[in-house]
Amino acid sequence: MQAGGTLQAEREGKSRASWLTRLRPRPEPDARRAGPSTLAIFLAPALLLYAGFMVYPVLRTFYNSVHTIGPQNVQKFVGFANFHELLSTDLVFWKAVGNTAIFAIVATIADVLGGLLIALCLFSRPPFAKLLRVVWFTPVLMSYVVVGIIWVWIYDYDWGLANTVLRWIGLGAWEQSWLGDPHTALGSVMVTHIWKWLGFNMIIFLAALSALPGEVLGAAELDNCGWFAKLVYIIIPMLRPTIVNLTVLSFIGKMMIFDLVWIMTGGGPLWSTETVSTYVYKRAFDWNTFDLGYPSAIAVLWFIIIMVFVVLMTRLFRQRDKLEF
Amino acid sequence: MGSPAASWLSHVRRTPLLLFLMLYTVISGGPFLWVATMSLRTTPEIFAAPYALPSRIHWEKFVEAWTKSNYSTYFWNSVLVVVTAVVLLTVLGAMVAHCLARYRFRGSRAVRFVILSGMVLPPQLMILSLFQILLEYGLYNTLTGLIVVYIAGHLAMTVYILEGFFAQIPQDLFDAARMDGYSDFEIFWRITLPIGVPALFTTVTLNFIILWNEFLYAVVLLTEDDKRTLPLGIMHFMGSHQLDVGMLATGLMITIAPIILLYAFFSETMIKGMTAGAVR
Repeated sequence: MQAGGTLQAEREGKSRASWLTRLRPRPEPDARRAGPSTLAIFLAPALLLYAGFMVYPVLRTFYNSVHTIGPQNVQKFVGFANFHELLSTDLVFWKAVGNTAIFAIVATIADVLGGLLIALCLFSRPPFAKLLRVVWFTPVLMSYVVVGIIWVWIYDYDWGLANTVLRWIGLGAWEQSWLGDPHTALGSVMVTHIWKWLGFNMIIFLAALSALPGEVLGAAELDNCGWFAKLVYIIIPMLRPTIVNLTVLSFIGKMMIFDLVWIMTGGGPLWSTETVSTYVYKRAFDWNTFDLGYPSAIAVLWFIIIMVFVVLMTRLFRQRDKLEF
Repeated sequence: MGSPAASWLSHVRRTPLLLFLMLYTVISGGPFLWVATMSLRTTPEIFAAPYALPSRIHWEKFVEAWTKSNYSTYFWNSVLVVVTAVVLLTVLGAMVAHCLARYRFRGSRAVRFVILSGMVLPPQLMILSLFQILLEYGLYNTLTGLIVVYIAGHLAMTVYILEGFFAQIPQDLFDAARMDGYSDFEIFWRITLPIGVPALFTTVTLNFIILWNEFLYAVVLLTEDDKRTLPLGIMHFMGSHQLDVGMLATGLMITIAPIILLYAFFSETMIKGMTAGAVR
């Protein structure tokens, strides 16, 4: 941008100079300039939509978070009372925060490591690698509704695949009502979520792996470097930017998880899979509290927390990068 | 590696890897094949043997789902919403991206910042007030309302991807076009768009898949049965006919069929599209 700016100034200077020397009445046409009406036609439709259905709703949610909004839009200013109640007395909220935190941390780690693992498998050039890549990516394209319903069947106590396989390999004692038991429900939903997104991380890692300089890997092979040493000392350090990027991306996504939980368990049993987003939805539309202010406060608070984490994570990793080089 | 013994040894070493590859392929693709078999079997057949292949293929289940279970309405609602939103998103997004990538104007930084910051806003932050706002505008429970919300919500990512691509088109082309007397709209229409086709493809596939699968906005903003999109329709059917596994599987197949069909032909474009926002 900076360089473009100076170039631009230079070009302007030149055209002005030539205008002065040759006394030409018309300046050279400049493809970097456009009249206000042209700009307005290009930008206005998108910006108006964006302002009305993105910017305004966000501002309004912030506004709502310090009000109680009753039916017929009766508003009452309550200051930070919503936040106070949320942080001090709302046990379901804290349960939801705990579940979401576990989900975001465990599933993010599993997703990134698992994605790297299956990317490495394909990177070793097995037969049918191209076909496998396409098949492994399929779950990423499917909607949460489809994935959720299929996995509800897989976890079914009587005829689900999970229990059938356990019985078949002689571990019938381990069969569970996977989504019905508060101890296993969150883990089961997590497995489904990881299953859906592994292929996504795999593709990103594969792209990063094939961009690695071949000489370095070749040199390591000449030095008789084992595959594990090669992975730990060469591949992972060189993939660091990708790992950081995917970790942050995956973490944000999981902090906001709604669809899959809503479809598979609805937050139950006994709040064992309640996440912050499902709780926001319930407080707004399911509970008969008729107040949009309180759930807005949850949404605002959670947004701020996510932003703080994202800034911290990028800062932390970036500083480490600086120390290394 | 030339001798047969050595190559035999390397095969043995690779056996665990190959077994793992097969296992993961079954795990990732198997569930969809299972649904495909169930979609052609009746519910009593499924409960008798959940993992058997169809003994008699019941194509008529698709007809029944289409006509009796309202899936045709859901399907066409989805098509209408997604196609309209994707077309408008592409056009509007390309116009904004072209402006940001090409022109220097007062406020361009502000415009870029405001639009791109939309990428980090979680839908939960908008959804409650969007519910209020659409009610006030009379757009609640309408497909128009959903389309408009989809466009606003996915503009950021679209502009981000397109601008990155448009900015790499050499400026000389535009200078030359201006010399030849092209107007701003001709430049957009006859230079940026044709050259930007690969990037447009990317955003179209990305937006198509995401919107075809979208659930949260739809579940909050639509409640009438004849307005439901496919994901909502399936959820509704699941709620009222939980035990009719066979019919539900048929519905799932109707939902995923368009995606699978496109994926079979354009797998590389779709993989590239879905991951476009994450690769820098």
